[in-house]
Amino acid sequence: MAEVIANGVRLHVQRLESRAGASADSPIVVMVHGMVMDNISSFYFSLGTNLADAGCDVICYDLRGHGRSERTRGGYRLVDSMADLAGLLDALGVDRPVHVIGNSYGATLALAFGLEFTARVASLTLIEPPFLIEGLGKEMARSLSQILVAMNDDEVEQWLANGAGRAAVRTARAAQRLLAETTIATDMLATPPFSAEALAALRVPVLAVYGENSDIIGQAAGLAALVPDCSLIVLEHHTHMVLREATAYLRTLLNWWLFDRRTPPPPYVREDDRSFATPDWVTQMVPPPDLNAGRRPAVG
Amino acid sequence: MSVQATAGPGGVGRAEHETRVLGEVSEDLREIIGEEYVIDMDIAMESTFSHDLELESIEFVALADRLRERYGEAVDFVGFLATMDVDQVINMQVGEVVRFIVSSLPATETAGRR
Repeated sequence: MAEVIANGVRLHVQRLESRAGASADSPIVVMVHGMVMDNISSFYFSLGTNLADAGCDVICYDLRGHGRSERTRGGYRLVDSMADLAGLLDALGVDRPVHVIGNSYGATLALAFGLEFTARVASLTLIEPPFLIEGLGKEMARSLSQILVAMNDDEVEQWLANGAGRAAVRTARAAQRLLAETTIATDMLATPPFSAEALAALRVPVLAVYGENSDIIGQAAGLAALVPDCSLIVLEHHTHMVLREATAYLRTLLNWWLFDRRTPPPPYVREDDRSFATPDWVTQMVPPPDLNAGRRPAVG
Repeated sequence: MSVQATAGPGGVGRAEHETRVLGEVSEDLREIIGEEYVIDMDIAMESTFSHDLELESIEFVALADRLRERYGEAVDFVGFLATMDVDQVINMQVGEVVRFIVSSLPATETAGRR
């Protein structure tokens, strides 16, 4: 198990290279997963091994409190997550700009990291980032409340107690502990909004990917309008879960982005006839007043 | 331990080789899953990671980590996993990983390092 102490926290890290190894000019790619119900494995299996095999030096890690990284009581503010990532790059001896790929909250973190640590970033790939100039903390709270509903539903609890398999129980219990035993919920609520001025001054190339059927597709245009060098890709038939739904296309897209960006982006070809839709309970969610209380929030 | 191959591919040597590698993969799996869960679990070539062993995807990350450490550069796990998605990985049988390891190692390769 590869573990690194970064910013005073023990982080689980997996560094992947092709068989030939990374060369001095191989793109270094850092992958940042989403919040609470996510961990290192989502990127490891979707883009991690694939981009490593294509010649990248890939760094995947579990965010603080997630997967196999240390679950501290506090330290879940955006500024803490950025310090963790900077500390991780320091600990790994990474001394040239990296390509950061983030998913969901990890993409929001990647964008904030690009603004704060611009010299350390070669490019940003933002997959389904919650992005707002006003009310970003509330948006984060809304995401958490969706997870809380899923976690605390009576039927779900009954299933976890009686019928669920070991893997499902472990995943759900880990998320419940993270929400119950840490300050992550209040820290998320305090997420500061992005500054339009800072975004307008960002000199880092940005690739933004959203699903057309995502509950946050309305935030895509604002991001693309504010960031000067932004390539926006919207995938038909896909939702917020696009990393999992359209893995094959994202592999092609990232190979283009990292190795062949002077050409037009690869066209999206839908796999099979599958279409994905966001469930109603996700779009109708109302953030609960106290996320740490673990109560089932009102819906609709 | 060192195992000499005594027959060509598919012969007795290969079967012995597979048995030994299955033992090594099983040892890593038991450590990852935890002995309390695997006490009655028979890990065989046909066992699936998802259904039979109920492996979480992050546990497969841990398995790949251990196997990369055990077999070193001779076994290209990154390349092996590069074209699969997470469902394909987790739905594999243990034997698919074992056979990949065996096919990667020279026939006279000594046992894994741990």
